[in-house]
This record gives sequence, structure tokens and C-alpha cells, in this order.
Amino acid sequence: MSTLVNPLDERSSDGQSPAPRLDSLEGKTLALLDISKPRGKEFLDRLEQILKERYGVAEVVREVKSTYTKPAPGALIERLGFVDGVIEALAD
Amino acid sequence: MLTPGDLAPDFSLARLDGTDWRLDEEVVGGPLLLAFIETDCPTCRLAIPYLKRLAEALGANRHRVVVVSQDGDADTRELVDTYDVGFPVLLDVDLETSRTYDPPSVPALFLVGQGGQVEFSGVGFHKEDLNSVAERMLSGLGLPVRTVADLDDGAPLMKPGCTSRHLELVGSLEAGVSPEPIDLLPERAPRASRLELPKDEDPYEYCMNAGFSPFLPVVPPTAERVDAFLAAISHEPDRVVGLVPPCYGPATIEKIAANAVMAGCKPEYMEVLIPVIRAACDERFNLHGVQATTHAATPLIMLSGPAATRLGFASGAGAFGNVARANSSVGRALQLMMANLGGALPGGIDMSALGNPGRFSYCVAENHAESPWEPLHVELGFGPEESTVTLFAAGGLTEVSEHNARTGAGVLRTIAATLSMVWSWRRCGRVDAVVVLCPEHVATLNADRFSKSDVRDFLFDNTGVPLRAFDHDGTEGTQLRETYEEIVIDDEPHYRKFSDPSQIKIIVVGGTAGKFSAVVGGWLTGAEGSQTVTYPVKW
Repeated sequence: MSTLVNPLDERSSDGQSPAPRLDSLEGKTLALLDISKPRGKEFLDRLEQILKERYGVAEVVREVKSTYTKPAPGALIERLGFVDGVIEALAD
Repeated sequence: MLTPGDLAPDFSLARLDGTDWRLDEEVVGGPLLLAFIETDCPTCRLAIPYLKRLAEALGANRHRVVVVSQDGDADTRELVDTYDVGFPVLLDVDLETSRTYDPPSVPALFLVGQGGQVEFSGVGFHKEDLNSVAERMLSGLGLPVRTVADLDDGAPLMKPGCTSRHLELVGSLEAGVSPEPIDLLPERAPRASRLELPKDEDPYEYCMNAGFSPFLPVVPPTAERVDAFLAAISHEPDRVVGLVPPCYGPATIEKIAANAVMAGCKPEYMEVLIPVIRAACDERFNLHGVQATTHAATPLIMLSGPAATRLGFASGAGAFGNVARANSSVGRALQLMMANLGGALPGGIDMSALGNPGRFSYCVAENHAESPWEPLHVELGFGPEESTVTLFAAGGLTEVSEHNARTGAGVLRTIAATLSMVWSWRRCGRVDAVVVLCPEHVATLNADRFSKSDVRDFLFDNTGVPLRAFDHDGTEGTQLRETYEEIVIDDEPHYRKFSDPSQIKIIVVGGTAGKFSAVVGGWLTGAEGSQTVTYPVKW
């Protein structure tokens, strides 16, 4: 019998479960996070309009990541702590 | 780091007196010079009196020189009092603005035009840069131009600065900066566990089933083999070399050794693997993005210097293929660690649409014997006796055959045509590439007296996309054409492919027969993508 050295990351990975889903969008405050892909603003402008007109979303908060290649800064995530939901959105 | 042509991202920071300062409000009416500094950096302190001189020359526009301090209130106040600074001083305590502007070191200057575009950026203390920035600001505002940095005033012409706080790993540990604060520079991590191989179980199948390498069999990392690697180096097994993105598993000496064993390395390759891991974990390389993107990019390791020859790395015929144990196993060891410690497995975090054969192993050495030019590591500022590893976020390898051109310019025009296709036909500006020159093409270039920088400049000036290619709207790159620079190549208007010559990296690789060079396209370049990083090979 031989002994092997574990080559994997052995830190415990406490699985994080997703936040509860929203029952409806009506009256909710949503954030649209623009990840800085080209023409993201145009896409999100239209999405914001649809969310308000068709789904009764009360308020839409807009934030922009400086680049889509890196995680959102902690301060930005903290700023969005008060909203009911976040849509992180692409474009291209 | 933001470079000229980039839009300077808006930000707001508190002034030292607590009031709010906003870029978009202040840039109205004229240019702004943002100077990122650390209060304890000698080079930053050297630069302050020159910034003061510029502010004085600007007179009523003195507020257009703005210092962004990467330190807290007390330290910054001490600096301001010591130097009697009169222009705005902002506090970037959480380093968010520093991360966005992403200078590798400080002092870092960003000249932002009133249109909001970066017109100049640079790091370190350079008298010529200070004078050139002063000239642009003063003449732009209709003021008399004045030399702010006398070349003969006794201070050095240039002095390198200190690592920017946001890249100082310990300095990034401000509470609240990350949603899940992690220790970015633990010195030690727990030892690897030992696993008893079940009796009668095939060790190769066991390793595959245990997830050590689900896609290709590996050498089982037995305790004896790993111990032989640990005995060959002077570091403790639990010492952390880096945290591998995107899941930031600690790459301890022992974990590196176990993965190196699996990849088929020899113990002496640890000398190279340690700087390779350091480079891969460097924030500027952005392995997080490289591992998670849908693009095919993966790190290409380029070795330069005597260590490559000493350890048996191939740089000649077939160097990109299965030709030498050192190339194959070191490249593979990095890929194993990107999965086993970084946590990026295809279909999970690794979302590449196509993948890349380089994801098995992508490692070459420069062929110094066949190059008349300074080696890559010397070009990058290292001594000839030193050795380096350079990591480039690379797509696939595209060969360029040119067997008929008898001049250096002819060879380069053919390479430029392939180079113009990097990323996507109509995408210009923020793209980069490695040009791999074969020895026969290098001989032709050398006969025509091309230096390495001549080659780079020629390719920069002759690589473009003809404007007629933009007749069809709705294709990638057309939406960005307003940002492209128009140039003339062969009497035809083109958009320049690259925004800066440094986006073209050059190495000499390959055998002495066959006029086949190659272009390796990159991923997104610059501060918003992956920056090429180089680390010295040393213990």
C-alpha cells in the first residue's frame, strides 16, 4: 500500500445557497449592474423600461463595474445591499 | 494601468478636509493631473516638490494638480504639512480608485484631458515626463510654458517608485474591501493530507477518479516522490507561494511539489515553477478572468535566460510541441494547479467556448543561440546572467509561412497580415499578441539591419485593418471604430490594429530550417484584462 500526497485545495468549501427568489417584481427595488460590455447602457435602458412598464418594478438602481473581467469591488456590492434583487447584465 | 486613449473612469473621493471631490466636475474647463502617491515612498516624496512647481506655474488653475493618497488621514496630513502642499489631496483609503486606474507602482501620473480621456500615464519619477506633462497642461491653458524639472538640479533624472498599495498584498486587506475578506498573503497554510491508496486499486485510475486530473492520467504523487522534490529545495513545505485565482487555493511548496510530480516534472524544475506560480497569482495577470472567460486564453509561459538551457527547456525545433520534458511538464504543472488549487474546471468556472490545446501545456524558451538581439529578459530590464519567466494570456498559435520574401520588410508585411486578424478582424486598439520569429526569418531581418525594436515599430506601423472592411455594420469591432486611429498602409487607409507598440511582444523560437514564424493572439489586454507579467527565476 502506498501513500499519496493530496494535490488538491483542501480548504472546507462551505456551500453558499442562493438568496430566496422573489415572488414577484411588483413594487420591488431592483439593481441593474452594468458589467461594462460595449453598449451595455442601451441594453439596460430598455430593460429598465420593461421592468417598470410591464412588471411594475418600483425603482431601478443602476451601477457599473469598471471591467467585466474582474469581480465587482466590495464597496459596490455593499452599496447594493438594500435592494430586493440584482440583475447583472451583459451586452455586446 | 490606464493608458492614453482610455476613458478615465469617473470617481469621487474625500479631500483631506473632508469635502467631496468628483472627477467629472473638476475636469470641466481644462486638463487634470492625477498623481497617485504613498506617503512613505521616497520616490513619491521626491516628486512632490516638482508637482508643487507645476501647480505654481498653473496659477489660478493650480487645483488641476491633484494628489491621490493611498494612505490614511494622519499620514497624508503629515506629508501635506511637511511639503506645504496647496493643491487638492484626496484620500483613496479603500484603494478602489487605485484599483480602477491600476498603476503597478507609485508615483503614478495620469493626465486627464477635459474630454475625460487619459492623455498620458506613467509611473515612477521621470523629469522628462514631468516637463512634458507641464508643457501640455500649460500650453493647453494658454499659459507660458515653464520647465518644472531642471535636468541638472542634482536630483536623478529618473527613479523607480514603490509597488502601488493595491498590489501590495498585505495592503489590500482593508476591512470591507472584499465581500468575503481573505488573507491575501498568508505565509503558511496547512500541510497536505496523506491518502492511503486502497489495496489492489490501480494508482493511475485512483488519481483520475479522485479528481487529481480527470482528463489525462498523471504520475501518482506518492509521498516518496513528493519528499524527493521537497528535499531539493530550501523552502518549508507549508510556505505559501501564492493564492491561485479564481478560488484562491493556497499554492504551498508542498502542493506545488505534488502537482509537479503529477505533471512529470523533475525536482529541479521547482526553481522555475515557483516564479511561474508567483506570476500566475499576480493581480495584474488577472488569472481570475483568464480562467473564467469564454475566450480560449490560457497562460503561455516564456522562459528567457541561462536557467532555461541549464534545466533542459527546448527553444529550437518543435519547441511548442512535445519535444522536451521540461516544457511539457512545467506547462502541465501550471495547468494542474490552475484546476486543483484555482478551482477552474471546464464547464464549471472555466467557461471557455472552445478550450485550447495550450491548456494541456503551453511553455517555450527563447532561442538565444539563434537570436542576434538582446534576449527577452534583458529587453525587460534584467541582467544577462539572470533568468525570467513571462506569462502571457494566450490564444492559439497561428503559423505564418513566408518562404519567398528576401527582405526583412517583406517578411514583416506577411506577419503583419496575420497580426491584423488577432482577436477579431475589425477589433483594433486594446488587443495584444506575441510574435514568434523563427531563426530563418530572424536571419533575414538581421541581414537588413532590423533591431528588435525596429521589428516592433515596423509591425506597429504596418498592421491595420482597411477601412473598406467596415462597410458592413453590425459586426464586431465596428461599434468601436470612432476610437480607432486612421493610418495609411500601402496607400490605402487603414485603422491601426494596436494602440501601442508594447502590445506586440517578440520572441525568437524554433529550429534553423523552415521559414515559419507564428502569431499568438492574446486575451483582453491592459488594466481591464490581463497584463503580461515577468518574474525572475530565483529562490
